[in-house]
Amino acid sequence: MTKQSEIERARMVEMFDNLRADKYTLKEYKYIGKKGPRRTDGLAKASGEADYTMDVQLPGMLYMRFLDSPYPHAKILKMDTSKAEKLPGVKCILRYDDPELAESANLGLLPIFQNDKPLDGIAHFEGQPMGAAVAADTEAIAEEALSLIEIEWEERPFMLDPIAACEPGAPLTFPERYMDGNHWNKGVLDEDIHSDVKKGFAEADRVIEFKIARAGHTWICPERPCGVWKWNGDCPEIWLKNQRGYVAKKYINTWFGGIPMNKIELHMLYQGATFGGWTHTDWNLGGLYCAAVASGRMKRPVKYVFTRREDFYGSSMDEGIYFVKVGFKNDGTIIAVDSILYEVNAIHPVFGPVLHLHESTRIPHLKGQTKSIWVNKGPGVAIRCEMLGPVLTQTMVMDHVADELGMDPIEVALKNDGCKGHNMGWLNEKKKERGFEVRDSLKECIEKGKAEFRWDQAWHKPGTRKLPNGRMHGVGFAWTHEWSDSTGSGEIAIRIERNDGTATLLGMHCDSGVDAENTYCQIVADELGMRLEDVHFNPQFDPGFHLNSPDSSCGMSINGWLARHAARTLKQKILESATSPSSPTQRGSFSPAFPNTSPEELDIKDSVIFVKSDPSRRISMADFARPMALQGPLTNTEAFGTRNAWMEPLCAYAYHTQEGEYNPKGPREKCCRQAHFMEVEVDTETGEVVVTRVVNVNDVGKVINRMSCEGQQYGGSIMGMSRGKLEEVVHDPVTGVMLNGNLIDYKVATIQDVCPISTILVETGMGYGPYGLVGIGEDIATVVPSLLAPAVYNAIGAWINEFPTTPDKVLKALGKI
Amino acid sequence: MNKEIKKYVCPYCGEGFDTTEGLKGHVFKTHKGHGLPVSEGGIRLFINKAEYELKVEPNWTLHYLIHDVLGLTGSKQFCDQGACGSCTMIVDGKPVLSCMMLAIECDGKIVETVEGIAAEGHPLIESYAKNHAMQCGYCTPGFVVTSKALLDRNSDPNEEEIMSALAGNICRCGTYPQHVLAVREVAQTLKQEKKQVRG
Amino acid sequence: MRDFKHFNAYSVDEAVALMGRYGERAAVIAGGTDILGKMKDSILPAYPEALINIKTIQGLSEIKESGGMLNIGALALLADIAANPVIKSKYAALAQAAGRTASPHLRNMGTIGGNICQDIRCWYYRNQNNRFSCLRKKGGRCYAIKGDNRYHSIFGGSVSGGCFAVHPSDAAPALVALDAKIVTSSRTIDVEKFFEVKPVKTTVLKADEIVTEIQVPEPPAGSSSAFLKFALRKSIDFPIVNCAVMITLRDSKVEKARICLNAVHVIPYRAVKAEQVITGRVIDEAAAEEAGAAAVSEAKPLEHNKYMVAIARTLVKRAILACAGK
Repeated sequence: MTKQSEIERARMVEMFDNLRADKYTLKEYKYIGKKGPRRTDGLAKASGEADYTMDVQLPGMLYMRFLDSPYPHAKILKMDTSKAEKLPGVKCILRYDDPELAESANLGLLPIFQNDKPLDGIAHFEGQPMGAAVAADTEAIAEEALSLIEIEWEERPFMLDPIAACEPGAPLTFPERYMDGNHWNKGVLDEDIHSDVKKGFAEADRVIEFKIARAGHTWICPERPCGVWKWNGDCPEIWLKNQRGYVAKKYINTWFGGIPMNKIELHMLYQGATFGGWTHTDWNLGGLYCAAVASGRMKRPVKYVFTRREDFYGSSMDEGIYFVKVGFKNDGTIIAVDSILYEVNAIHPVFGPVLHLHESTRIPHLKGQTKSIWVNKGPGVAIRCEMLGPVLTQTMVMDHVADELGMDPIEVALKNDGCKGHNMGWLNEKKKERGFEVRDSLKECIEKGKAEFRWDQAWHKPGTRKLPNGRMHGVGFAWTHEWSDSTGSGEIAIRIERNDGTATLLGMHCDSGVDAENTYCQIVADELGMRLEDVHFNPQFDPGFHLNSPDSSCGMSINGWLARHAARTLKQKILESATSPSSPTQRGSFSPAFPNTSPEELDIKDSVIFVKSDPSRRISMADFARPMALQGPLTNTEAFGTRNAWMEPLCAYAYHTQEGEYNPKGPREKCCRQAHFMEVEVDTETGEVVVTRVVNVNDVGKVINRMSCEGQQYGGSIMGMSRGKLEEVVHDPVTGVMLNGNLIDYKVATIQDVCPISTILVETGMGYGPYGLVGIGEDIATVVPSLLAPAVYNAIGAWINEFPTTPDKVLKALGKI
Repeated sequence: MNKEIKKYVCPYCGEGFDTTEGLKGHVFKTHKGHGLPVSEGGIRLFINKAEYELKVEPNWTLHYLIHDVLGLTGSKQFCDQGACGSCTMIVDGKPVLSCMMLAIECDGKIVETVEGIAAEGHPLIESYAKNHAMQCGYCTPGFVVTSKALLDRNSDPNEEEIMSALAGNICRCGTYPQHVLAVREVAQTLKQEKKQVRG
Repeated sequence: MRDFKHFNAYSVDEAVALMGRYGERAAVIAGGTDILGKMKDSILPAYPEALINIKTIQGLSEIKESGGMLNIGALALLADIAANPVIKSKYAALAQAAGRTASPHLRNMGTIGGNICQDIRCWYYRNQNNRFSCLRKKGGRCYAIKGDNRYHSIFGGSVSGGCFAVHPSDAAPALVALDAKIVTSSRTIDVEKFFEVKPVKTTVLKADEIVTEIQVPEPPAGSSSAFLKFALRKSIDFPIVNCAVMITLRDSKVEKARICLNAVHVIPYRAVKAEQVITGRVIDEAAAEEAGAAAVSEAKPLEHNKYMVAIARTLVKRAILACAGK
């Protein structure tokens, strides 16, 4: 082990937990930050060669489909499957009361939710897959069989509205889990208090109150949830549509009395988008569990699939009613915010609505309460992302204050920028303590954004600019910090291949489309000194090293470290190997590639190892790694009396962990900011809102994969605009049945619904990730939905605090209906 | 108006005859030298320039036939109701939704799938990859096929024409801006190639 | 989808014979984009036993104009109608309506005949597995009345029984505005009399009758037509409200006006009051505005669809102005 290796190891440990600035960046970047070559998955995806779990077909494979509850709250009293069993092609029907189906199994939810049944006998929302699962020769036969199952139901009272569900006397919506009431998280992460809001309101010049209503919206992942289970003896071979394959593996490990990890073979093919969602819901792994049972019985592989409609049942943790009270000074400084969110069905109630205000402002008095209320709808999970609620609150607070004072919202933003109730002076001290260069991220983002958007010409008093086409013009501004937050860990290995010296990254990732794989290669290439084309990562096979999922925007802030730690460790190994005797055995050894040289004298560039002081002494990685052990009795070398040269494996692994954000002390001051600008035109006769321009400015600390970052900006803007303006899940108020569980009635933006989007990346280096980076994947899609409200307000001079911003709401705000 | 169906129907072309002699004479005269007719439920299909003779069930969609039965898994199913474009194939030169077509009604049709487009080395594939016109990639084959059909009928489309042609393709990841770039780039390339050929 | 028998009809007679034999147990398939969706979701109490394919009938997809009449075969594709130069210049409302229908892919598959015969999109009616066995399925009642009716009729329910589901076609109001006739295998009907609301029926077609042709008379000199569509998205969506107008001017004044709204009522809604207001007037903002108000003067919105009234009124005004090139 070289001295440098020890240094690298110490540095790796020092950077654990992401608590300080990266002191050990590279001096120059060749691939990091540049617009690189095409995506590694690009050709496969464009040519149709990329395989997804929905494409998997195995010989003899059966298809499994599930019964969906027609009622929002009901119990199965009797179920007769005899007719279904007789349908030709039906092979196996699992019932909720089947003794082999566990009373409860570990299906991947948080520990606070125990005892999840793979196939429940009680439904708690209409459309819930439960009761029965049919395995048949084709999906169509399984579907037909389900319609032949006869069930006697006990319908129970149900609730859809969170506030009504809290009223005394409201029927219990999920008595098996929440027996004390539908507001279930009393005392569990339900209040978030920073200082004294009562005092704050007393000190304020003005106090306003308003209410926000956000309709539920859902993920809409193009690939349907599905998976395949095949028993090879007692070893399961699994294909799974899932964001976190390694997490799924952890739960599978506990099933059926325990399946050893080393016997589970998990194929994570390309994923047709994840966005969170099904990773977090119990019946995703419940489906796999049922497939496993059926596969065991039928001795055939079983593929479970959920339909497009079944994939609609779940929302994004921001559905509900927000009551907001804000106290502020006449100069725009906000003193106190008190907010209560009646949140529908969130299964992760980890924070109150004031979280982002706490993390990115100097507002001294904050109180946020989340009442998590269970109603008879699908579960609310983290969907790009769980910060939708807190971000919406921040945007609405800032923009309502600006409105009240007739101020430019950008001024209000700059006045209130800070951290944990402290002003920028305090935050700047923290930046120094953490080792960052002190920069004013929000100011930089705003400057760039204002220039691009031409904000000073565009902004005007609300409801005062009518365009020649008759529509009202409006602009909106929103900002918050840039985040990469959750706890996470990962491990990766890199090996140098024999014969040609190319580098392979070994890690089970889960491709959701962010081009992370190429990004790791960029880091490894720069760190190792190799050409990018010599570094490769195949994310679809499971070598056991797991990478962190790209969720919580912290893919790069964990996996980036991994790639770097492993590359730095490996580089030392390579240099040491290059200066040490090679092929050592009892018979002796061969002289080093660089005799009488120390590793410190060498470097690698463009896949060539060379002596720094005399670059003419060089050997390519390909030549260096060329020797490999030949095998077989008739090798030429043995016949000619020469000895096979070989090389010790050049392989290094690394691991990293990040301390998560969702703990009471919130370990990191958020230094990077993001700013977003939206322009709209409102047709006051029809209520139509047309988004005409969006400008995104994201301080990502350090850009690694430029095109991928921009992809998150325009992609997130489109998803954000779609959620803010078009998307809502609609339930029939009388029966609780979902009415728009399809892609015609649930509106996802088309190419003709989008506008020019500017993508600006700022790099202040104030991120806790490697090279000073911070995440981006969730940020834009989370912030942009909230922009509809201030933009439309600026256009028509009336606030619409309800989302999505549909024409009926606009007309109502205009007093026309 | 309830007319009797003609009893003897030619299995090649469907023309009806009142007598077996009439049918026989017709077959010898008109279809001599033709291959044996496909059996009931049988269709002939050209997929990516290869000829197939297949027996299909009435309830198979064209997508099911090509994706599940024949194993050409490039085309994807996102919405299964004709609202997303992910299952697009080119049939007789037009981009259509294979999940909303019955295989049994495709007798004699010429079908191009994304696999065929890639196999012929169409520059769209490279341009898509280079311009990051995909993220999760599930909708991408549908876009590629639709774009190819556009370029076949209009080799130099402007931005508006591209967006209009892709208006039926949904991308949840929001890659829309990149498709315009990718298709424009290919149009430029094709223009250059034409110039070179002419010059 | 479940099993069913499939027939290719090679002539209108053959199609009619098969339809007669099967009655309600079979469905006709043209473009297939409506019927296959219904079958995939099993929305009806009974699944079709058979599908009768009429795409195999030759000679029903042509578009030609002669002798003062535009003849469009029932199987003419919406894309072809939208692109046809004659239709674009002289029957503009129809070209615009066809061009705004659904998506480019669907316009390559959907036929004009199928479009005017299409079934309702009410989300209770279309819920899977016949979850709501409503009036239109010979069930008890309309679930939209007390439910979420944001896309339902603003002019009351159907006469018999009270169904509030709207007619979703874009082409239909254009044909009404252009005073078209529908030719079937047994008769010729004025387009306005073609639509009716009965359980499992949206037209007056008998069980063994199909549309073979649509005839649109050449608009008189001085005429122009326009079509506008309002939907949340700019593509794919069915209309929330649409409007087709044909105006004939003489001496700068409106000699004749045909104004048809759709997606606002159970059948295409001829805005007769609006026509009365605008006839004899010079088209300007004020006149068009008045006509718009008149068009919705008899609106009876439900709890969630008042906004549609404002939109309908606006579309009538703007379509009239569009005809005048304003």
